[in-house]
Amino acid sequence: MPLSDSEIERYQRQLLVDGWDQERLKSARVLVVGVGGLGGISATYLAAAWVGHLRICDSDRVELSNLNRQILFTAEDIGKPKAALVAKRISAQNPEIEIEAISNKLTEANVSGLASGCDLIIDGLDNHSDRLKLNKASFDLNIPFVYGAINEWLGQLSLFNPPQTACLACLMPEELQNPEVTPVFGALPGVIGSLQATLALRYLMTGENPVSNALLIFRGDTMTFETVTFERRPGCEVCGKTVPFGPRR
Amino acid sequence: MIVFLKAGGQLRAMLRPDVDHYTRKVEVDGEKTIAEILKDISVDSAYVALIHVDGKVKDLSYKPSNGQTITLQPPVSGG
Repeated sequence: MPLSDSEIERYQRQLLVDGWDQERLKSARVLVVGVGGLGGISATYLAAAWVGHLRICDSDRVELSNLNRQILFTAEDIGKPKAALVAKRISAQNPEIEIEAISNKLTEANVSGLASGCDLIIDGLDNHSDRLKLNKASFDLNIPFVYGAINEWLGQLSLFNPPQTACLACLMPEELQNPEVTPVFGALPGVIGSLQATLALRYLMTGENPVSNALLIFRGDTMTFETVTFERRPGCEVCGKTVPFGPRR
Repeated sequence: MIVFLKAGGQLRAMLRPDVDHYTRKVEVDGEKTIAEILKDISVDSAYVALIHVDGKVKDLSYKPSNGQTITLQPPVSGG
C-alpha cells in the first residue's frame, strides 16, 4: 500500500536515504529481548523508523541504579515493569506500530515461542547465559540475531545468521565468569544500542550483513573501532552439526 | 620470546600492565599456549571471554609468536 501524504511527510528524511525500503520495514516483525540500556535504545530507533511490529520482552522492573544509563526511564518509574513502560513510550512515539510487551523471564522453555514469527532478534540482554538461549532459538528458528554487549569502556556488536555465519556459541561457547556488577556508563549502551538499530534496519531492508563472521569492537576510552573475524567452530553444540565438512572435535 | 598481553575491564587489573595502561610485556620460555602463559603470570583464564590476535579471534590453545600482541577481553554484559 502506498504511503499516505502524512506518512511521506513524517518519514521524508529517511525516505531520501539511498536504499531505504519503508515497505519492508513496515512489514517486519522484530523481537527485542531486554529493554534497558541497549534494547531501550534500539527499540526506540526501530520505532522511529517505523518497523511495523515490535515484540519487546523484559522481566525486570526499573531500579534506581538503572537510571544512569537507561534513559527511557525516570525516577517516577522505579518499581514499574520495563516492558510495559517501553511499550507505552514507543507507542506514544509512533502509534502506527503494533507492540507486544512481554514481562516474562526468558527461559529455555519459552524462548522459541517468544521468537517465533519474527524476522529478526535484537539482544538487549544483560548476561551471557540468556544470550546463549537466544542464540539457540535464533539457530533453531533460522532467525538472524543482532548481538550487542558492553563492559566498562568496551562494546561489541555482531549479526549472527547461521548457517550463513557462525553463531554466538562458536565465539563464546561457555558460561562466563561475570563480575557481580559490571561497570557501565550511559553513553556506551547508547552507542552500541544505536549501532544495533542501524545494523537491524540495514539487514531488514537489504538482507546484507556487513559483520558476517566478524565482531565489531568499540572502545570508548580510545575512541576506536576494530573488527575482528572469527570462524565457525566445528564442534559447536548449537550450529556445528550443520558444518558440511571439516574436522569435528 | 616476548609477547604483549593487552586487556581492558576488570581483566586489566588482573593483568597488572607494565607497558602502558592496558599492556603487559611477558617473557615466554619456548612455545606456549595462551592458557599456559596466563597460568604462568597467575591470571585466571576463567575471566577471559574472548581473545584476538592480529584481527582474528583465537582460543586459549593458540601459541603466539615472538612480538605478537594478544588482546584479552573480559565477559561483557548488557545495559
